[in-house]
Amino acid sequence: MEEMEEMEEPDRIPDTPLLDRPRQLRGYRLNKMAMGLGDPANRAAFRTDEPAYLDRYGLTEEEKAAVLARDWREMVRLGGNLFFILKISAVDPIRITEIGAHQAGMDHESFLRDRLGKKE
Amino acid sequence: MARIVGGLGTSHVPSIGAALDKGLRDTPEWKPFFDGYLPAREWVREHRPDVAVVVFNDHYNALFLDRVPTFAVGCAPEYHPVDEGWGPRPIPPFEGATEFAWHLLDSLVENRFDPEIIQEIKVDHGLQVPMELFWGRPSGSWPVRVVPIFVNVLQYPIPLPARLYELGQALGRAIESYDSDERFVVLGTGGLSHQLQGARAGFLNREADQRFLTEIAEEPGKLAGWSRQRYIDTFGGEGAEVIMWLVMRGALNPEVVVRHRHYFAPASMTGAGMIVMENA
Repeated sequence: MEEMEEMEEPDRIPDTPLLDRPRQLRGYRLNKMAMGLGDPANRAAFRTDEPAYLDRYGLTEEEKAAVLARDWREMVRLGGNLFFILKISAVDPIRITEIGAHQAGMDHESFLRDRLGKKE
Repeated sequence: MARIVGGLGTSHVPSIGAALDKGLRDTPEWKPFFDGYLPAREWVREHRPDVAVVVFNDHYNALFLDRVPTFAVGCAPEYHPVDEGWGPRPIPPFEGATEFAWHLLDSLVENRFDPEIIQEIKVDHGLQVPMELFWGRPSGSWPVRVVPIFVNVLQYPIPLPARLYELGQALGRAIESYDSDERFVVLGTGGLSHQLQGARAGFLNREADQRFLTEIAEEPGKLAGWSRQRYIDTFGGEGAEVIMWLVMRGALNPEVVVRHRHYFAPASMTGAGMIVMENA
């Protein structure tokens, strides 16, 4: 797929994924699936049978594996945008700072201290 | 004619709304943040605006990637809170200032801005949180009507900062040419520095945030001249949305007086800034 090849290009600003054309195209299905979680009936379907819910949106095996594993870094690599995939945390709670730490490749405590400057 | 009584800038972090919903307002983590808005709340009570034009972005709650308006003006009679995944938040719906919204559309198009026209839409934290911060959550209905201006700051290409400043100037002319004795405020929302995704997640730039709060008042033309890339570098991938403040600033006169200003970091993962300005 053309868009798959484009995704191999580095982001124009290091370590800063923007929702540009290749990401938008690559992530469309994944983002549409997550957008669906704004509807309570879809949240119930996601809770009841997550793989079946993901299949409804035609996710690839790679995309499904990333969602099922709650692999936030991988979801973003596959074109997922945070404002969509954050809705997964409404069904399966996790703090946004934990999602951030995961993407930065840091443990939560170090992330809060070193990136956000929180004391404790 | 209608009059702009002030320009208000604020972050619109969703965790602020969640903190209010969970009753965390007076916890050590949040109290200094919310207390910083008390003088601004007092200013709003004194100046009693009739209409708030709120410049913000939907975070893929009411709008999807199938249609992405660069600019859109809401002309709806009311705006209900949207379900962002946790159910709609328990706040009253916002009443729309429909007559002004249509006047604004006429005026913008005559000034060569061509926004999408929205008649029915729900609103997310991008509008809700600024309203709660400046007006407080009302027990009944909101004491002010709203006109939302939606800006695409997520799907690239996003508009140029200079274009947003010009949109603000056109908005200011539309308000001043509106045959009414109503009192207007313009809200610029979003930012300041934050990044939520990628290996640079957690990026904050407190110095740049403080400088922005000074320069948005004193040197807006300079900020309007920055490139989008410079905003992303300086404020983070998601923090670049702070360009929406330029619409609010463009609606004011070149010379302004800063009445209140506040900064708190981090609110969740964001450098949270606030400003209240009046025309000099």
